[in-house]
Amino acid sequence: MTWWLLTFSRGGPARYLSHLDTARAVQRTFARAGVPIALSQGMRPKPRLSLPLPLPVGAAACEELAVVEVPDDLPGPAALRELRAAAPPGLRPLAIVVVGDQHPRPQALEARYACLLEGDAGAVQAAVERYATEVSVVRERVSPKGRRTLDLKKYVVHAAAEPAPGGTRLSFAIRHRDDGAARPQELIDLIATWAGVEPVMRCLERRHITWKGMPPGQSPGAGRSESP
Amino acid sequence: MNTRVPGSLDSCSEDWLPDEIARLLARVTRPGRYTGGEFNLRLKPGASPRIVLSYPDVYEIGISNPGLQILYAHLNDATPAAAERAYCPWPDMAALMRAHDVPLWTLETMAPVAGCDLWGFTLPHELTYTNVLEMLELAGVPLHAAERGEGHPIVLGGGPAVANPWPLAPFFDAFFIGEVEHRLGEIVEALAAPSRGRRLQALAAVPGMWLPRVSERPAQRQVFTAFASTPPVLRPVVPVLEAVHDRAIIEVMRGCTAGCRFCQAGMWYRPVRERPVDLVVEAAERLLGETGSDEVSLLSLSSCDYSGVEEALTRIRALRPGVRVSLPSLRIDSAAQSLGRFAADQRGSVTLAPEAGTQELRDAVNKGIDEAQFEEAVRATFGGGFTGLKLYFMIGLPGETDTDVAGIARMAGAAARLAKEIARGRARLSVAVSSYVPKAHTPFQLEPFAGEAVLRHRQRLLREAMPRTVRVNFHDVAASLVEATLARGGPGSDRLVEEAWRRGARFDGWSEHFRFPLWEAAAAATGIELGAADAHSDEALPWESAVVAGVTRSFLSDERARGTRGELTDDCRYGRCVACGVCGGGVEMDVLP
Repeated sequence: MTWWLLTFSRGGPARYLSHLDTARAVQRTFARAGVPIALSQGMRPKPRLSLPLPLPVGAAACEELAVVEVPDDLPGPAALRELRAAAPPGLRPLAIVVVGDQHPRPQALEARYACLLEGDAGAVQAAVERYATEVSVVRERVSPKGRRTLDLKKYVVHAAAEPAPGGTRLSFAIRHRDDGAARPQELIDLIATWAGVEPVMRCLERRHITWKGMPPGQSPGAGRSESP
Repeated sequence: MNTRVPGSLDSCSEDWLPDEIARLLARVTRPGRYTGGEFNLRLKPGASPRIVLSYPDVYEIGISNPGLQILYAHLNDATPAAAERAYCPWPDMAALMRAHDVPLWTLETMAPVAGCDLWGFTLPHELTYTNVLEMLELAGVPLHAAERGEGHPIVLGGGPAVANPWPLAPFFDAFFIGEVEHRLGEIVEALAAPSRGRRLQALAAVPGMWLPRVSERPAQRQVFTAFASTPPVLRPVVPVLEAVHDRAIIEVMRGCTAGCRFCQAGMWYRPVRERPVDLVVEAAERLLGETGSDEVSLLSLSSCDYSGVEEALTRIRALRPGVRVSLPSLRIDSAAQSLGRFAADQRGSVTLAPEAGTQELRDAVNKGIDEAQFEEAVRATFGGGFTGLKLYFMIGLPGETDTDVAGIARMAGAAARLAKEIARGRARLSVAVSSYVPKAHTPFQLEPFAGEAVLRHRQRLLREAMPRTVRVNFHDVAASLVEATLARGGPGSDRLVEEAWRRGARFDGWSEHFRFPLWEAAAAATGIELGAADAHSDEALPWESAVVAGVTRSFLSDERARGTRGELTDDCRYGRCVACGVCGGGVEMDVLP
């Protein structure tokens, strides 16, 4: 067996999928393309496929990553053509990097985002400027696992705002640390609260991810088996 | 649809999606319900006529409906029409659509539904009726057919619930009664007429069509006689969002002549027609490729009765060893044998439907299985490696007594003992108990609905008698009361549906959304007594003025009488003809040699 790093973009209707639905769509694309995925061991074997960095519902992305284990003798370029033909609208396989038999464990270091915030552009701009000047912005996260607090300033960097048709374009980067990461919506909620606008995140795009743990010279986008 | 090229996500424009829809999607749960983007979705830009197909429930339920898949594939692939889809928006989306004045759109083109030529609804059951009104209003289409004019779509109803179309009659321009595959071409042709009035006239001439405001005679239920020689849907739309069913479906057989006297589907889809095994196996191969599914389901009302089941299972497994083959509908008398075939699959659970708790009542409903067969099926379930067993019963059947209800608990207890003995601690046993609702065109069509008090009493009896280790689920009695009222509602029963909807009734089939006080208030406002359908006389049944089902009144009356006497009636595919009235005039049973 060998491992592939598949990069793909998500846009159009596929941007409204959840992380699990996206993983299911990628898996279904492999099945439709006739490209087998290795199965895990045990009573309930599962396909050996993972998307290391979940993408929020509603977000488009230029270059996402799927880690897949496949049989040794599969030619990547031919598989890429089949995968493209089999993918649903909005999900486009971009490139396959053949890694070898060692499980790659890519870890996101930083992801850059942009989105549109509707409402008073001046107020949004002021809220972003205020964020830049704060030393600490502690927020509470409530999830089924319980409550925890996190300081957004430790995770969200390079926040900037500029006028855009329909509102304000907000761009920012989220650092992924050993103790976790902030979510894009958490920054949006904060800025919207400070600006007094509705916290609706539109046109969210994940534009770039910096990875750690890639095999040397094999980062997504480099050494592609086929260019898009 | 103009999906964007990767790498060019450099602006906030979502040019494939109208901006007003994008604004709503950012505010709702599961926005993927409203954006399409599935595998095998069809786009036919510029095609005419434009037809919208709808299932009046949320996307995850509607996308799993095989009937709508048949219509979608056939219209798009075999006629000049473009077929698109729309499902019922969840309440959060519906509220936003109203607040922002955004009309219902289709998943294919994101264009307003109201701009189509024909809007077809598959009507599965009575508790979806308020959703039909909800969708009409959200689309901006006048609720009543009488208020529609040039520029409005023709609203057409079909599916099993049109066995009695009266509760929805004023909201629809037309109903198609029966199986429509072979009539789709004629329907598409009728839409070419130059005006709405002429289109309706042309539609009225299509066999099986009943137009509430035009037709003077009831429509004859249509039977797709070429079913056996026609391949099943080979390129179904496959959802990317998790749906209630996620498997490749092959309809191997249509119709069931087992003759269960409570069963509307058994009367409605006669006669039995079977697809050849070669066609089924070829379809399985193609479908698995097109869907990427790892499970293929051989669908019918009673899949173990499909003559080719053994051969089809064997050949599909040989062809695709890793694929699971499931039979979703098992009859207990043949289940033990079937479960043996399944054992290699180690599927999680099995559902068996004894329906009633005593031999007398099972004979009365023509479900002639005995308790030895039941126990054999339970043994086969757990002996075959399955760890879950669900038993399905009904309460409120005609002639039922408290003793029959106690029999349900006794059978559940027997199953629990066998589960403990064979599967030890690994077994899960649950019992689902629904309330029987008499339906049109069945032998029990004139039987009274048991009523709220009796059903609640029997639910209480069952709760007390059921072994503690068995989990029991009951259907909501109040929902059954509404269903019973509409299932046999006559002209005027539409007022109840409309009033309940105006008061806020939506998604009545969902326990978290069903609000009985709205229906009680609607009943009081309209003067319609819930359960009053019992008052129909034997002389004039309202649904017979709209629908000729094929099974004759005399057959149904005879069957009712035989049920009262506890007499069983043979399945005509294995024994003599029971003269139900369906066969003749080119309609015949079509089973494998």
